[in-house]
Amino acid sequence: MFRAAVRLSVSGARSLTWTRLGCTAPLAQRCYSHGGKQETDDEFDARWVNYFNKADIDAWELRKGMNTLIGYDLVPEPKILDAALRACRRLDDLASAIRILEAVKDKSGPHKDIYPYLIQELRPTVDELGISTPEELGMDKL
Amino acid sequence: MSLAKPAMRGLLGKRLRFHLPIAFALPLVAAAAFKYGVTEPRKQAYANFYKQYDTTAEFNNIREAGVFESVRPTGK
Repeated sequence: MFRAAVRLSVSGARSLTWTRLGCTAPLAQRCYSHGGKQETDDEFDARWVNYFNKADIDAWELRKGMNTLIGYDLVPEPKILDAALRACRRLDDLASAIRILEAVKDKSGPHKDIYPYLIQELRPTVDELGISTPEELGMDKL
Repeated sequence: MSLAKPAMRGLLGKRLRFHLPIAFALPLVAAAAFKYGVTEPRKQAYANFYKQYDTTAEFNNIREAGVFESVRPTGK
C-alpha cells in the first residue's frame, strides 16, 4: 500500500484505479514481498498472539513487538491486545499495559468507535489483571 | 447494548486511496484554471496591444513631449 503511494508521488501520475502489485484490500499492510503466499488477517493475528503469549517474553521483546505492531496500518485485534496485556502482567509492567491502551486509542485516529469497542472486548482482561484505563486515571485529559 | 465491531484494518490505506488522487488532481486543475483563466488572457492582451502598436508614432509623441536627450522636439 505504501509502496504504491510512493510510486504514485514519484511518477506524478494520478490514477483512480490503484494497481497494488497483486495485493488486495484486506491484506493491505504487507505488500513489499511478492512471490510468497499472502498472509490472511487471521494468520497475522495468530502470529502476533503467539508472539506475546511467549511465556518468558522479555521487556525488550514486549516493547519491540508493540512498536512494530503500532507501525502497521491497522488497530490490533482485541485478542492480540489481550496477549500483550498478559505479557505486561508477566513482566510486572503496569505502565506499559496502560500505555498500550493509550496507543490503540491514538491509533484509531478520527474513528472514535474503535476504542470503546476495544475496551468493551478487553473489559474482562483489564479487570482480571487489575489494569486501570487511562480514562479511569484521568490521563485522557490534557 | 454491546457495540458492534468496527472496521479496524486498512484505515489509512482507505483514506489515502480517497485523498491522494484528489491531492494530485486538484493542484493540476488549479494550475490549469490559472493558466487558462489568468496567464493566457494576459498574454493575449499584451499580444493584442503590441499588434496595433505604432512604434514610430509613439516615438514622435514622446519626442514632442521633450523628454528625450538624444533628439530635440521638431519645433514645428
